[in-house]
Amino acid sequence: MSDFAQTLITAIAIGSLYALIALGYTMVYGILKFINFAHSDIVVLGAWGSYSLSVRVLPALGYGLKEVPPVWVALMILLLAMIFCGAIGFTIERLAYRPLRRAPRLNVLITAIGVSLLLQNVGQLSFVFGASPQDMPPLLSDRALATFSFGEGESARQLVIGMVDVVIFTTATSLMLIMQYLVFRTKLGVAMRAVSFNTDTAALMGIPVDRVVSFTFVLGSMLAAAAGFLIVMKYPSISQPAHTIWVLLGLKAFVAAVIGGIGNVRGAVLGGFVIAFVEQFGAFYVSSNYRDVYVFTLLILILLVKPSGLLGSTLREKV
Amino acid sequence: MKSSTEGLAAKSGLIAGGAASGPEALLDVREIGISFGGLKAVQKFSLRLPRAGLYGLIGPNGAGKTTVFNLLTGVYQPDSGEIQLGSQRLGQGKPHEITAAGIARTFQNIRLFPSLSVLDNVRLAGQLHNRHGLLSTVIRSRGYRREEELLRQRSLELLQIFELQDRADELASNLSYGHQRKLEIIRALATNPKVLLLDEPAAGLNPQEKFALAESIRQIRDRFQVAVLLIEHDMPLVMKICERITVLEYGITISEGTPANVQNDPRVIAAYLGAGLEDA
Amino acid sequence: MMRGTSSVGSDAAAVAKSEAAEVAVKGNGWTGLIPIAIGILIALVLHFSLPAPQRSYNTQILQIIGIVIVLAVSLNIVNGMTGQFSIGHAGFMAVGGYTAASITYYGSMLLWGSTVKHGGFLGSGDWLFLGSCLAGGLVAAIAGYVVGLPSLRLRGDYLAIVTLGFGEIIRVVLQQTGPLIEDIEALQSVGLKQLVPPPLGGSLGFSGIPKYTNLFWVYSILAITLVVAYRLKSSSAGRSMISVREDEIAAQAMGVNIARQKVTAFVVAAFFAGVAGGLFAHSTGTVSPKDAGFQQSFDYVIMTVLGGRGSISGVTLAAVFLTVLPELLRDFEQYRLIVYALLLIIMMLVRPQGLLGIHEVWEMFNRRRRKAETSGSDVSPAEVGS
Repeated sequence: MSDFAQTLITAIAIGSLYALIALGYTMVYGILKFINFAHSDIVVLGAWGSYSLSVRVLPALGYGLKEVPPVWVALMILLLAMIFCGAIGFTIERLAYRPLRRAPRLNVLITAIGVSLLLQNVGQLSFVFGASPQDMPPLLSDRALATFSFGEGESARQLVIGMVDVVIFTTATSLMLIMQYLVFRTKLGVAMRAVSFNTDTAALMGIPVDRVVSFTFVLGSMLAAAAGFLIVMKYPSISQPAHTIWVLLGLKAFVAAVIGGIGNVRGAVLGGFVIAFVEQFGAFYVSSNYRDVYVFTLLILILLVKPSGLLGSTLREKV
Repeated sequence: MKSSTEGLAAKSGLIAGGAASGPEALLDVREIGISFGGLKAVQKFSLRLPRAGLYGLIGPNGAGKTTVFNLLTGVYQPDSGEIQLGSQRLGQGKPHEITAAGIARTFQNIRLFPSLSVLDNVRLAGQLHNRHGLLSTVIRSRGYRREEELLRQRSLELLQIFELQDRADELASNLSYGHQRKLEIIRALATNPKVLLLDEPAAGLNPQEKFALAESIRQIRDRFQVAVLLIEHDMPLVMKICERITVLEYGITISEGTPANVQNDPRVIAAYLGAGLEDA
Repeated sequence: MMRGTSSVGSDAAAVAKSEAAEVAVKGNGWTGLIPIAIGILIALVLHFSLPAPQRSYNTQILQIIGIVIVLAVSLNIVNGMTGQFSIGHAGFMAVGGYTAASITYYGSMLLWGSTVKHGGFLGSGDWLFLGSCLAGGLVAAIAGYVVGLPSLRLRGDYLAIVTLGFGEIIRVVLQQTGPLIEDIEALQSVGLKQLVPPPLGGSLGFSGIPKYTNLFWVYSILAITLVVAYRLKSSSAGRSMISVREDEIAAQAMGVNIARQKVTAFVVAAFFAGVAGGLFAHSTGTVSPKDAGFQQSFDYVIMTVLGGRGSISGVTLAAVFLTVLPELLRDFEQYRLIVYALLLIIMMLVRPQGLLGIHEVWEMFNRRRRKAETSGSDVSPAEVGS
């Protein structure tokens, strides 16, 4: 029972991270109809950016790298990382994707793979982040907020609700709620949805398509940065930028977006949690060695049964 | 071929108890329909197209004409109704199976293979009846070479009939618009169809080209003994060459008959002039 | 049925004649094998003309180049000709490599009591090795069939993710395999327990594979791959594949079974990737799970994109270039993938069809000449209805 509950808590925390990243994929796909392969590398930038900022800012403010600074420092680093990644996202769209707005989708996909490779390997260079893993200084104390005990003697277990899990869940949820508000309640959101529905018509209606696309990229990148920051809060040892772990993380988030129905904002959130649950419970009850296999198997199954995803709608190609 | 048609006609005469009921239908479409998310795009569409008939399908924009073509060629599966070609039921076939059965089409928005040559566009359509497998291709067996050579000759002959043989090696995308439309028809013919569906073949052509097109559609019908169903917005052209015309509006057949009858049908006039049906 | 064969109208008389008269084709049933025989002869010459130390650096590089070309050219059948987008090609290679390695490794152990190379040139060991490569190709082809199936329902980018996921699944599964059984005594007393999971070396990789691969085998198989790829491309089968790439809806309307074309492309490509995997395993003596990863697959994707999607000679040149370049620049490794990435981005901006597009090197000259001849004739409007 306590094991189940503990897995549940992890799944919720991880699920909100996947959802956060999946939103970036789904927004770009909704508007430009291509997989932004480089999105996972923005998450990496967010993680490594948070690290670089921390090791520079903390000593400057007079805090040691081992002690936990006040909450506002963590918030500031989160914000700076988001702004940094937003700027990178803007630049990538402007330089690599915008010239291909009318090109076949495959070309854009190949470009996205190129951008992804570029970010990974530039990040690995010794004068950028380097090619070895680092340890993130603790910005939050991971103390137990609540502890429950179950059973007695041999089978005694404890259920711990940790600070970091709660922070991840609340930060991710509030960011997603802000997103929801932006997309469904503001003029900008209407413009985004209009561009997503039909770019040409939106342009004819006087919607500044380029600006909307830029904004989408900035927004998605900022969410990715937040996800990167939250990940290093939970798992403080950061793998090097080109490590498979990052690519797999991004892929799973993308799978979440596809499973939920790509292009659908709510679907991305749903997909994020579905993936996390399958992965965490599969890892716990079957074997943790195959956790990636569960996710991809689920993806293939869902695509074969309902290619448009759980909440997606099918589009017919006009003949 | 002629005698067999006569035989069939005679047979149908026997059954129907009189020869007046018209020629035996080659393509027999019975009350097909499809709806997209509640919108009834086509309802109860029926058509009896005889061997070597030349029929027209007209109607205002969005009336469901191309949807009918898509239903006939298996791009969409009809929700209801039946399609029969000769003695063969087609209803739920995949597009390539329907092409193999003998229905070929052209597209309203030209869909040639732009980076294949003109000859290869025709060859691609003609290979439908090839019998050699992948292994013979790889080892270039005699059977493979014979079939490929035959295919090449046939395709060149087809191009020659339509006077495009000089452009055989050019990329399809380098042809002029009029030639591209022509190549679409040649390509459809190369599949060796019994029924040819032409989707707005005159769109974008100038008056002289349209005139030539009308002639060549007739010639195609006579020469290849193929039944033609034509979607077209150019009324004079339709009225001139079609033997019978079906008029669609909002997915419903509002009139069917000879050009003269259709032309004078008040419902057709209303549909085209935009007056309400109540007034007609 | 009368219509089973074509009849072309009032010119039908002429056509009917050509139909009745057998179409003349030159040569007999063996003619088709001549190019392959020539290729194998070249491989033989290459094998014996190079100086003795077979394990020398240059020989090793030449082997790798040949293997990489096989991989890139076979991937090009899926990505270039059929217009699907597979980024899991290394997965097929790993499947083939592991299959072939386990056959020669455990096979030699059972047959000859040890895993060292057995027999001389074209000796019994060589034939076991050849058989193992073919088996690797077949197992990879089965995997290709399975991976190709989703392509029936998924387009472009979705399919890319599935193939990528496939490569990753292969990698993870290979990591979970058991340790190798090191000698014949252990093998003979092996219980079911050591066979589940199969003893393929786990995350350390499969090592100690007898190094049977030599220039003769690599370049013979390369010759076969090139001939097969070119024959596919220039045949009805290849045109069907290309039509799928160009316009699926029109292809179907012309009677092309697009599902079959896609799956065929995957199966053929996977087969050659599997054979190449066998060559690779017996060239370096090791295969490891990371060989199935997508970083490896990207290399071949880059070669097909750079060389021209659909161009066999273009992809061959790109494969040679991108394999030799890092060897020439010693300190290049750190920057290699950065250069590749920039190449991809710039190619898509400047020349998305690749250096040669769909054409072959020799066609480029013809085309230019023809263009010069026909320029001045009526030029078509570029924009054609949409």
